[in-house]
Amino acid sequence: MEPSERFCVPGERLCSAEEATAGSGTYTRHGFIFSSLAGCVEKTSEESGLPVVSVVRDSDPQLLPDVGVVVTCKVCSINSRFAKVHILYIGSTPLKSIFRGTIRKEDIRATEKDKVEVYKSFRPGDIVLAKVISLGDSQSNYLLTTAENELGVVAARSDAGMQMVPISWCEMQCPRTHTKEFRKVARVQPEFLQT
Amino acid sequence: MPVDHRRLCGPEESHAPALWAAVCGAAVAAEDGEEEGGDESPRDPWALRPLFARAAVLSQADGSAYVELSGGTKVLCAAWGPREAPEPPTAAAAAAALRMGRLQCDFRRAPFASRGARRRPGSTAERDAERDLAAALRTALEPTLQLERYPRTRLLVSVLLLQDEGSVLAAAISAGALALADSGVQMYDLAVGCALCRGPDPSAAWVLQPGEAEERRAAVRLTVALLPALNQVSAVQGAGSGSTPEDWAEALCFGLDACYRLYPVLRQSLLQATCRRRRRRRGRATAASTA
Repeated sequence: MEPSERFCVPGERLCSAEEATAGSGTYTRHGFIFSSLAGCVEKTSEESGLPVVSVVRDSDPQLLPDVGVVVTCKVCSINSRFAKVHILYIGSTPLKSIFRGTIRKEDIRATEKDKVEVYKSFRPGDIVLAKVISLGDSQSNYLLTTAENELGVVAARSDAGMQMVPISWCEMQCPRTHTKEFRKVARVQPEFLQT
Repeated sequence: MPVDHRRLCGPEESHAPALWAAVCGAAVAAEDGEEEGGDESPRDPWALRPLFARAAVLSQADGSAYVELSGGTKVLCAAWGPREAPEPPTAAAAAAALRMGRLQCDFRRAPFASRGARRRPGSTAERDAERDLAAALRTALEPTLQLERYPRTRLLVSVLLLQDEGSVLAAAISAGALALADSGVQMYDLAVGCALCRGPDPSAAWVLQPGEAEERRAAVRLTVALLPALNQVSAVQGAGSGSTPEDWAEALCFGLDACYRLYPVLRQSLLQATCRRRRRRRGRATAASTA
């Protein structure tokens, strides 16, 4: 173990609130900064003002979907008003347990909301990129939206079981049988294009 | 008793051989008396017995801990981080679930845990006792967690009692706090549990970390749970009769002082687990870079 590394346990007092600012993995109480995780103490100095003290863990952080983050989901069931999805990834971090979300009909597209049909946007089993817009009220799950060009279906399988290729913003085609199916297709990011 | 179709069919009724041993021999009773007397006389009431604690013992759980008291009590605890909570039944519970997470405690006693008669798993009396212990455990562990950081989720703590030799709830509280800290859930503090009991003799003193025999013969029992860094009590549970309020206050101070003395052991085991995990991850990173 390096001598500069300092480990702490939850409840351990790190320093005074006047010496540093509380970062992630800490909490402030009675003018002192305490640790709230079992991990390694890190102190990052900023140009102006106090350094930031935080506690980091090497293992996966306990991530939760929050408003505004882009999540990767799998469609589980659809009906005429919404699509139910399982949130699998937050950004590029896999979730330890599945959280359920809902994509409502009016949140699928930014334009022509009255002409949207859920059956022509998603199918069960599709992998969808979406953005969290709400934690939901007491009786529903996380509310997600795909009303952006970069959001929508990124991977889907045809009836023949083949992975379909996106050919336009609303169509995907099977490379084997050449049948076209309707999806709300996400615009492909430049870093994934092969040149 | 209704037949449990989910288990193997055994005898309808059975008793432990210790009952007949007690019936048969006065010599055996005298021997037991000698043993108990010998065990009781040299015991220092202020002395703490050795305690073994180790975190990160299970691979499937997010966090885990194993606590063993010198009397023989063995407790294994597993904790899981924020999971999706099922829909709350009432509107008030739903509103509460929106704001902060929920802690769900499960306490199980292994059938081979107690000496004497083996309890039938799943029976009503056993389930009621386990539910009471789970409720007490939840009361002790909930103040340590920052539940407002995990809205609409639940945290799971599962405690398995492998051997019961007294001070069970105190060991479960310490193991549960270690497992939650090991799972990476944000907490205010660790919870440390300690148990006390007092014999039926009016001049008897409070004894820390009683064994199973002492607990069985005790007139009064007490378990305290303390958050040492914040200096707050998170749970107190007591039973018995024949004690004055001054006696109870003395016992409380006694137990809290013992919790302060037990805290460095738990802290050290948690730090060791954190260092071990970091070293293992660094070793894996080194191997990956080499390959």
